[in-house]
Amino acid sequence: MAKGLGEQNREWYARYKDDVKKEGKAFFPRAMLHDTIMGIVVVGVIIGLAVIWFYDADGTEAGVLGPWYEDPAEPGTTDFIPRPDWYFYFLFYLLRIFEWPETVVIATVGIPTILLMLLIGLPFYDRRRERRPSRRPVAMVAAVLTVLSMGVLTYKGATAEETLGSTLIADGVPNEWAEKQGFVGNQKAEAGAELFAATGCLQCHIYLGLGAGNLGAPDLSEIGQTNDVAYFVQYLSNPARFGNTVMGSYSYLGQENLAALGAFLEASKGGEEPDSR
Amino acid sequence: MVDLAVLAPLDWVDERTGAVRGTKWFLFRNVPRDISWAQTLGFGTLIAFAVQTLTGAILAMYYKPASEIDPTTGKPLAYASIEHITNDLTLGWLVRGMHRWGASVFVILLFMHMARVFLFGAYKYPRELLWITGVLILAMGMLMGFTGYLLPWDQTAYWATVVGINLNGTAPFAGPWLSQFLAGGAEIGSDTLAKWYALHMLLIPGALIALIGIHLYLVARLGITSPPWSDEAAGRERPVRKPTGARAGLVRPGSGSK
Ligand code: HEC
Ligand code: HEM
Repeated sequence: MAKGLGEQNREWYARYKDDVKKEGKAFFPRAMLHDTIMGIVVVGVIIGLAVIWFYDADGTEAGVLGPWYEDPAEPGTTDFIPRPDWYFYFLFYLLRIFEWPETVVIATVGIPTILLMLLIGLPFYDRRRERRPSRRPVAMVAAVLTVLSMGVLTYKGATAEETLGSTLIADGVPNEWAEKQGFVGNQKAEAGAELFAATGCLQCHIYLGLGAGNLGAPDLSEIGQTNDVAYFVQYLSNPARFGNTVMGSYSYLGQENLAALGAFLEASKGGEEPDSR
Repeated sequence: MVDLAVLAPLDWVDERTGAVRGTKWFLFRNVPRDISWAQTLGFGTLIAFAVQTLTGAILAMYYKPASEIDPTTGKPLAYASIEHITNDLTLGWLVRGMHRWGASVFVILLFMHMARVFLFGAYKYPRELLWITGVLILAMGMLMGFTGYLLPWDQTAYWATVVGINLNGTAPFAGPWLSQFLAGGAEIGSDTLAKWYALHMLLIPGALIALIGIHLYLVARLGITSPPWSDEAAGRERPVRKPTGARAGLVRPGSGSK
C-alpha cells in the first residue's frame, strides 16, 4: 500500500539521522576545517578588494573600483546621475521597461513582492521528495531562467547610459530647444531650459527626442499646450498633490527657479517640428 | 589545578545555564560524510556578516550622522567624517574599505549559498522554516545595502536615495506614508540621515542577528543534507533484500540490508 507523503518524509528523515550518526563525520574538527578555510578566503577577498579600491583611487578620483567618495551631496544641483548599488541594478532597469505611469507600480512593488512570495512559498508548493537536480526539470529550468533574467537586467542596468545635465548645457542643447520651440529672447524660459537640463528632468522625461522615457514620465515637448506657469509651479512644488508619486518635489529649487521652469514648460508648445515620439 | 581553575567554574556555569552542554551539542555532532565545499558557503556568509558587524562598529565610533555644514571644512558633517575616516585615521581606509566591499561580498555569498540550497533541494522537509528564515535574512541583507548607501552623504548616496524614496512612494496605500517616513520630513536632510542610520546600525542588524541565530540553531538541530546525487548520501534508499530459501520467514525484512 502506498504511504502518505508525510509518512515517507518522516521515514526518510529517520533514516537520515541514523546514517549521520553511524557513518557521518565529526562536525568539529573535521567539517570545521573546510569551513575555516572558506572563512579565511572570504576575509582575504574582502581585504583584497578594500586594498585595490583604496590604492587605485584618490579622493573623488575613481579607480577600477570607484572613488573613495563623490563630491558632497548637494540637494540644489541635480547634475548627477543616481545609481544604486549593483545588486539593485536589476530593479533599476526593470523601471525602464514599464514606461506607462499606471504600470510603474508593477516594477516597484508588484514584481519584487511576487518574487519574495514565490521564494518564501517554495517549500510549500514544491512538496515532492525528489532532490536530484536531474529529476527536477521544472525547478531547474525556472532557476536558470531566473538567474538569466536577473543577470541580463543587472547587466543592462550597469551599462544604461544617461546624459549628464552639464554635458547637455555645454553642447548648447538648451539653446537649440529655444530655437526649435521659438522662445529665443524669453529670458525666463531660457533660464528654465538650462535648469530643465541641469536638474535631471530628462532622467525620466523625454524632451524633443532626448531623455529616458523612464518610470512612465510623459514626453514634455508639447506640454505648454496644456497648462500655464502658475499650474506648473504648483505641480513642481508638490507633484504628489497631483497624484504623481513618482516625481519628487522640486520646491527646494526656490520660487524664482520654479517660475523659470514653469515659463520654459509653458513655452514648450511643440515648435516648428513637433517631435512627438 | 586545571580542575580548579577551569573545569570547576565551567561546571558552575553549566549547572546554571546549560551553556557547556549546549556548546558540546553544537560542536560534537556528526554531519553526513559526503559533504564538502558547497556546504561551506553558509559559513562563509556568516564570516562576511561578522566582518560587517566588526568594521561597522568601528566606523560607528567615528561617523557623524548629520547633514549640517561643518564650519571648519565647509562640508556636511557626515561627509567630513567619512573623509576623516578615509584619510586621517590609522587604517581607517581599510576598515571603511572592508565594510564597503564586504557588503557586496556578503550579498554575493547570500545568493551563492541560496543557490546551493536550491540545487540540493535542501529546502524540503523538514527544513522549510530554515529556508524561510533564509529568505527573510536575504531581504534584510538587501535592506542593509539600501540604508547604508545614504550614509556617506555624497552625490551618489544622496541622489540614489532620493530615487529610492520616490520609488517607495509608488506603492499603493502605504506608499506615500512610507516615503514620508523614510524621508523623515519635507526634505531629505539630517532627520533622514539619523533615521536611516538607526535602521542601518540598530534595527535591521538586530533583526538579522536574531534570524541568523534561529537559522544556525535549526542547522544544528536538523543537520545538513548530503549532495542528492551522492552514492553514500545519508538517508539513501536501501534495496530491500527479500530473504529466500530456508531463512524465508525467519528474518524480518530489511534487517539484513545494510
Ligand atoms: C523620477 C522621475 C521624474 C523626474 C526626475 C521628473 N519627473 Fe516629471 N513626471 C514624472 C512622471 C512619472 C510623471 C507623470 C505622472 C502621472 O501622469 O501621473 C511626470 C509628470 C510631469 C508633469 C505633468 C505632465 C502632465 O501631463 O501634466 C510635468 C509638468 C513634469 N513632470 C515636469 C517635470 C520637470 C520640470 C522635471 C525636472 C525638474 C521633472 N518633471 C522631473 C516623473 C519624473
Ligand atoms: C546571514 C546569512 C546566512 C547565514 C550566516 C547562513 C548560515 C548557514 C549555515 C552555516 C548553514 C550550514 C550549511 C551550509 O553552510 O551550507 C546553512 C544552511 C542552510 N541555509 Fe543558510 N545562511 C544564511 C542565509 C540563508 C539564505 C538567504 C537561505 C535561503 C533563502 C538559507 C537557507 C538555508 C538552508 C535551507 C540550509 C540547510 C541546508 C542543508 O540542509 O543542506 N540560508 N546556513
